[in-house]
Amino acid sequence: MSVEVLKTKAEQGLADQYTAARSGLPGAGNGWAEGLREAAWETYSSAGLPHRRIEEWKYTDLRALLRDAYPPAPALAEALTGEDVLAALGPVLAGLDCHRLVIVNGQFRLELSDAGGLEGKGEVFSLGDALGDPSHWLKQTLAQVNPPLNDTVVALNTALMTGGVAMRIADKAELGKPVHIVHMLTSGEAMSVTTRNVVVVGAGAKVTLLESYVSHGSAPAQRNAVTELVAGDGSQVHHIKFQNENPETAHLTSWMTRLGADVSYDAFQFSLGAAIARNQIFVAFAGEGSRSHISGAVLARGRQHNDTTMVVDHGVPGCESREFNKLVLDGSARGIVQCKAIVRKDAQKTDGHQMARALMLSDGAEFDSKPELEIFADDVVCGHGSTSGQVDAEQMFYLRARGIPEPQAKALLVAAFIGEVIEKVENESMREAFLKLTESWLAGEGEGG
Amino acid sequence: MLEIKNLHVKIADEETEILRGIDLALSKGEVHAIMGPNGSGKSTLAYVLAGKDDYEITAGSVTWNGEDITQMSPDERAAKGVFLAFQYPIEIPGVATMTFLRTSLNAIRKARGEEELSTPEFMRVVRERAEELKVSSDKLKRPLNVGFSGGEKKRQEILQMSLLEPTLCVLDETDSGLDIDALKIVAEGVNALRGPARAMLVITHYQRLLNYIVPDKVHVLSNGKIVRTGGKELALELEKSGYAEFGEAAA
Repeated sequence: MSVEVLKTKAEQGLADQYTAARSGLPGAGNGWAEGLREAAWETYSSAGLPHRRIEEWKYTDLRALLRDAYPPAPALAEALTGEDVLAALGPVLAGLDCHRLVIVNGQFRLELSDAGGLEGKGEVFSLGDALGDPSHWLKQTLAQVNPPLNDTVVALNTALMTGGVAMRIADKAELGKPVHIVHMLTSGEAMSVTTRNVVVVGAGAKVTLLESYVSHGSAPAQRNAVTELVAGDGSQVHHIKFQNENPETAHLTSWMTRLGADVSYDAFQFSLGAAIARNQIFVAFAGEGSRSHISGAVLARGRQHNDTTMVVDHGVPGCESREFNKLVLDGSARGIVQCKAIVRKDAQKTDGHQMARALMLSDGAEFDSKPELEIFADDVVCGHGSTSGQVDAEQMFYLRARGIPEPQAKALLVAAFIGEVIEKVENESMREAFLKLTESWLAGEGEGG
Repeated sequence: MLEIKNLHVKIADEETEILRGIDLALSKGEVHAIMGPNGSGKSTLAYVLAGKDDYEITAGSVTWNGEDITQMSPDERAAKGVFLAFQYPIEIPGVATMTFLRTSLNAIRKARGEEELSTPEFMRVVRERAEELKVSSDKLKRPLNVGFSGGEKKRQEILQMSLLEPTLCVLDETDSGLDIDALKIVAEGVNALRGPARAMLVITHYQRLLNYIVPDKVHVLSNGKIVRTGGKELALELEKSGYAEFGEAAA
């Protein structure tokens, strides 16, 4: 049975784009890659863009929020230099000592990257290139790492992805420096960018992966980015995201993560920019004795909309999960945290806890929090909590009684609030950078104002 | 000079008056004690002087050095030299004690038209004053007042007072929660700050503190009014007789 679904303007635009682009997308001509895209397009087009009647998208109605589908970014973006990349990152992050991998408008740009051969402990290549001649491991991995059921944004990404980073870290490798994937948008005109990263961390390896999402210029953009990450048994992964895109950007990212046994996974997401941001995180425990600690900091003002939606799936016994999110909301900003923990029948001795806290700086800001626990095992410890409140009046009075003027006192208290979650970033340079960026935001700088 | 005239105060949004006509004159170089039973309005007076906005002044005036301070914000008052040592110092998780001290000191210096202290100079001054008050450097590394005992918090208050060098010090039950050793240290810290340029208002329920910080005058506050004023010996008298005679009958 086929039901004709009325398409929105953006949906019609996407359909036209797929029809026009499919024969020219990376991997065209390769049966496996074409099959992957076709299947994904079917999944997407059967439902279209998610809207408010889809429970997971209740607060972020893409049918309503995306008026148009912007044209895809041109295959080869304008001439860019390393200086432009550093400028887009901003002075605070530009100085970070790291292996830098640069993706501009959906294309991995080797000449702008400085991976240093990953110290001989892994391999990095362009996903776009690899789709034309996929290796065995890529075929075993791509679109198969904890894929969310019926998530049409992820399906749309698979159908339209133009490139990104494919990376493997060798077993037992310990990288001396963080790997920093820079996702950069640069254009004078409105455009859409669809990128995909695949990262496989070998057993016992230790890696810190930073993904930053930044703009060079102020043109409107629609971004759909997915990172699939497999953490091998006994590996230790720090996975950090920094998002400071321009205030004309609709930002959709999905992290799909699968953890082996005895893995230590620490994730942190720091969101400052974009008009609309949806941060999806899907984590699955596939081996016993692992821990996943995910935290997030959101600073939003003006009319910014920031939605963090997570699903943590305990499929095996004896794992620990923590989700801790803090949001500072000013102006008419809207913050959303949805976090679902699933504890399957066999996942005994699961220890799961989630907390979301919002600090409201104005009467016009809104916070929606939706914790969900689906527990099918009987010997587990799980909990959730959520709070929202204003700056504490007693603390304000105390600071002001010590001569600190109101704006400065408020900035101190807000920085203290968000600092609690930024402190969870293990890498000192990144932590310091994020604290500095918070200070600038509080001083009224940055995007989204 | 601090001059309080016919001061009437109620809690904002409530009807009941807490201070019902206070008159007080405190000159620089003097230390006055305010004693009184619980609920007499002592802490309200302290908060009103510091500018807490939970209270509303319905009549009367408060001037400091001839300036009406009642319309000033708490930070403006602090810049004019007003300092309240809190009965219950506030814990602020996430704000490092040193960051707080430096922000506070520099804000006040700036308001006074003085230059900010350099980091090494600031560190030196804090270390010096902290040592005098037996505040360990470990405590200075923690978030402000978090996990401190009552006595440690009170010492932090006096440390702040010593750093900010206010000219009008209001000490609200600084003795509460202190054992005798801590009381002596705090009193020494306060006495070190006594001088011709500084006025002090010491609010306490018990006479004990006044053995160490000897006041020039003692005022008895009862039911929102000063019902008796005398010399330091009045405190001893109160210690013997209690506040019973200043109870409801005095109202």
